[in-house]
Amino acid sequence: MGILLFITVLLIAACGLIYELVAGTLASYLLGDSVLQFSTIIGCYLFAMGIGSALSRYIDRGLAYRFVWIELLLGVVGGFSSALLFLAFAYSQGFQFLMYALVIVIGVLVGLEIPLLMRIIRDRYHFRDVVAHVLTFDYLGALGASLLFPILLVPHLGLVRSAMLFGILNAGVALWSTWIFANQLARTAVLRGFCLVVLAALCTGLVEAKRITQAAEDNIYADEIIFARDTHYQHIVLTRFKDDIRLFLNSHLQFSSRDEYRYHEALIHPGLSAIAAPRRVLVLGGGDGLAVREILKYPQVESVTLVDLDPEMTRLFTTNPMLTGLNHQSFLSPKVHVINADAFPWVESNTDSFDFIVIDFPDPTNYSLGKLYTTAFYKAVARHLSEQGLMVVQSTSPMFARDSYWCIAETIKQAGMLINPYHVYVPSFGEWGFVLAGHHEYRTPTSLPPGLRFVNVKDMPALFQFPPDMAPMSMPPNRLNDQVLVHLYDQDWKDISH
Amino acid sequence: MGLAAKSEPQIAGGFVNESFTQGHLLRDRAAFAAANRVEKIPIVIVGGGIAGLSAAWRLHKSGFRDFVLLEMCDQAGGNSRWGENEITRYPWAAHYVPVPGRKAIYVRELFEDLGVLKDGKWDERYLCFTPQERLFLYGRWQEGIEPAIGLTRSDRDEFRRLEEQIGAFRATSRFTVPMEVGFSQESANLDRISFADWLSEHRMNSRVLRWYLNYCCRDDYGATLDQTSAWAGIQYFASREPEEKGPLTWPEGNGWIVQRLMERIGSFVRTGRMVHRIVQSGSGLKVYAGDAEYHADFVIYAAPTFLAPYLVEGMMPLKTFEYSPWLTANLTLDRLPKNYGSDPTWDSVFMDSPTLGYVDATHQTLRTHVDRTVWTFYWALAEGPASQNRRMLLSGNWGYWKDAILHDLERVHPDIRQCVSRMDLMRMGHAMARPSVGAVTSPERRSLAKLHGNLLFANSDLSGFSIFEEAQYRGVVAAEHALARVSGSKRG
Repeated sequence: MGILLFITVLLIAACGLIYELVAGTLASYLLGDSVLQFSTIIGCYLFAMGIGSALSRYIDRGLAYRFVWIELLLGVVGGFSSALLFLAFAYSQGFQFLMYALVIVIGVLVGLEIPLLMRIIRDRYHFRDVVAHVLTFDYLGALGASLLFPILLVPHLGLVRSAMLFGILNAGVALWSTWIFANQLARTAVLRGFCLVVLAALCTGLVEAKRITQAAEDNIYADEIIFARDTHYQHIVLTRFKDDIRLFLNSHLQFSSRDEYRYHEALIHPGLSAIAAPRRVLVLGGGDGLAVREILKYPQVESVTLVDLDPEMTRLFTTNPMLTGLNHQSFLSPKVHVINADAFPWVESNTDSFDFIVIDFPDPTNYSLGKLYTTAFYKAVARHLSEQGLMVVQSTSPMFARDSYWCIAETIKQAGMLINPYHVYVPSFGEWGFVLAGHHEYRTPTSLPPGLRFVNVKDMPALFQFPPDMAPMSMPPNRLNDQVLVHLYDQDWKDISH
Repeated sequence: MGLAAKSEPQIAGGFVNESFTQGHLLRDRAAFAAANRVEKIPIVIVGGGIAGLSAAWRLHKSGFRDFVLLEMCDQAGGNSRWGENEITRYPWAAHYVPVPGRKAIYVRELFEDLGVLKDGKWDERYLCFTPQERLFLYGRWQEGIEPAIGLTRSDRDEFRRLEEQIGAFRATSRFTVPMEVGFSQESANLDRISFADWLSEHRMNSRVLRWYLNYCCRDDYGATLDQTSAWAGIQYFASREPEEKGPLTWPEGNGWIVQRLMERIGSFVRTGRMVHRIVQSGSGLKVYAGDAEYHADFVIYAAPTFLAPYLVEGMMPLKTFEYSPWLTANLTLDRLPKNYGSDPTWDSVFMDSPTLGYVDATHQTLRTHVDRTVWTFYWALAEGPASQNRRMLLSGNWGYWKDAILHDLERVHPDIRQCVSRMDLMRMGHAMARPSVGAVTSPERRSLAKLHGNLLFANSDLSGFSIFEEAQYRGVVAAEHALARVSGSKRG
């Protein structure tokens, strides 16, 4: 009998600590700053335990009956705490409030447990043995929990299911107490019924935990996901909210159908309209076909060659009706030739010449992509420019990544070209920058194809003006053997998101 | 029980480029078939490593055509040999050249000839791409090989003091590449103690500093700190002042240079011809290789110098030449390890490992996406006596060394066995000359290094250590010496 009692103490101590660890870990995962999260959670929890212990003196009668109820409550609140917090983070603004509320409720309940238990059993043993044994097993339980949690529970069960499992233990303790303290309880059958209901709920939770985390993660993309695929090269996600379709590659927003016309008109027309008789155009990247849509507005263009790494991407934008609606079936035009290849080696080995070259790659977030923003790359591309040819480069934001933008501009300049930097406001991106480059003086065009919604002859010169907060900075060029751009880009975005 | 044994994917491979068997024929004075034809040719180059190829390049560039290069192996290149599979080309040993300083005039001339240096600018595609190097220590990766994390104040202080000392040595202009240009009495004094003792004398005892310096010596010389002379240790750092972030490297390492040289002088190179005897005869020399007897005015002996006493009739045995045994491996990876740990990096080193880590052959690709690659793994068997290490190197079978290498890699990449589909190994008993205490100043070496007579020694081991620039320098200088003396009519 004695040993069963003390195992009960060990289990409830373990349960209490697990809920506290779950809350601390979850808060660290979701909010960051683990030192702050763990400190405040442990503090609140211990303080709430003190409140629970203080409250225990107001409980006079029915100690065993109340102990069973406390265990049941702990099982429910603690067991579902992790799932509740996950969902709260995904669907509400009240994550922190709920977290501290749960920590305090659990702390108060845990604080009640031990004083009540000691009073229940004080008549059975010497008081000094009660204190010694109860506290010994209490601390042993805490040790066990603190070792189990990082080694077994988090890696193998995850946070949601770990909390559920220990909720089941709490409810189990309640059920088992109805036997241990049977002589101090009335209506044990009803109590046992409640225990079984709670146990059943928690067991269901344990089995269904995956669905709960899934529901929470789905909500991290703001809108409904209508397409998601892991290709050999990247993770493609399309979302839709009403008429707004958004494309994400590796979680980076590529366009929003509501304002992409601003981006793509600005990418193509200031350059292409400035070329007297453009016949051959090259697009590097741009697998969504939206830049090609703009290029096809020039009837004198005879061929468009598009080089994009990912065949899944170009196939998706050739065949999916919703997406070909966006790019006006540009990939189906007989003028367009799609080549799925890595851009740098293709540029090195190909010998064709082009009147207009569009370079529209993902931002230089790593050293592999950074190779496509080097003097060596721009020199290789420049060899493909015809006598009067121009190239345009997507160059990140001169506002949010000002160092990076001017580093790209400097790199193109050091590759031996005259540069004309310009920028445009795209609501879903913010201020966005491009660099036009060629071997001759550039002048903004005096005529444009009909039907454009954003770029116009009158306002175009203003795109080439940079206000003081985006004004040119002196930056080193990005080179294959010294990729300063990746560091700058990393730093720029860290600075604004701290 | 229905449980399948946990099996790991099969790894194929074996030993390749085994040349010591031929070397042992010389050592054991085996009988060679007699020559059945005589070829009269003014200059014979013995050995097709960088020294020999550079001598040939110099002769050819001067318009001289009456020479032949004899190479024992089927592939020219020596320590710069390379291999190729369906994924990439890869090096077998030497895999980079530091960006040459102003004093390395012949190396700069070569690179101008090969289009690597144009109008004073180095071609970016041949400079090592970012990120260059990384070090695994305390369970994580840092950029660069010099330890930068977990240093105590006194560690930092010692690194700083060493840097100051090196700066002072550099300022004397006596530490140069090639070494002969600046070698002085001061250098000779430093050659009398070991680098380890020099560090102790200067109260540099930081464990981290010593690990780093020991790594550098193992990497460049195949020797530990106490097997390296203080002169060589300082030479490593004080001789270089790169004008550009380097080094120069290619997927196949220095094999790229070998190929470019072979495009120019390949028709003068005869591979699979082991020279087994060189004899003075009148004013000329007779060189015996295979079925032929070459009658030459000059022989440029660019093979490893330790072999010379076995070839050259009447030559005294050498006492001061020591060489380090090396093991290199090329691993074909069907995928990168799951915890690769950073953006793909050229050179990865593990702190406190007996090995030197690995170099990624596809690092110099212009592609943004790489699925499969080849790693070249380097292991200089430095600790302990070289002869004992050589025996160990030859006694272990392929499975033994394969497991030893995987074991080392597993510390850093636990799933490496699931990634590797093939591992080929190359064993080199005498891979690199070792600049031990007194080696560079030994009269034996100084005398052989001086070009005189008609037998001209040109191997890099005469510099005390085996690096590309020393080999190239000695090859070129020997060629110029011979050119100046060979009768004028034979200049093409």
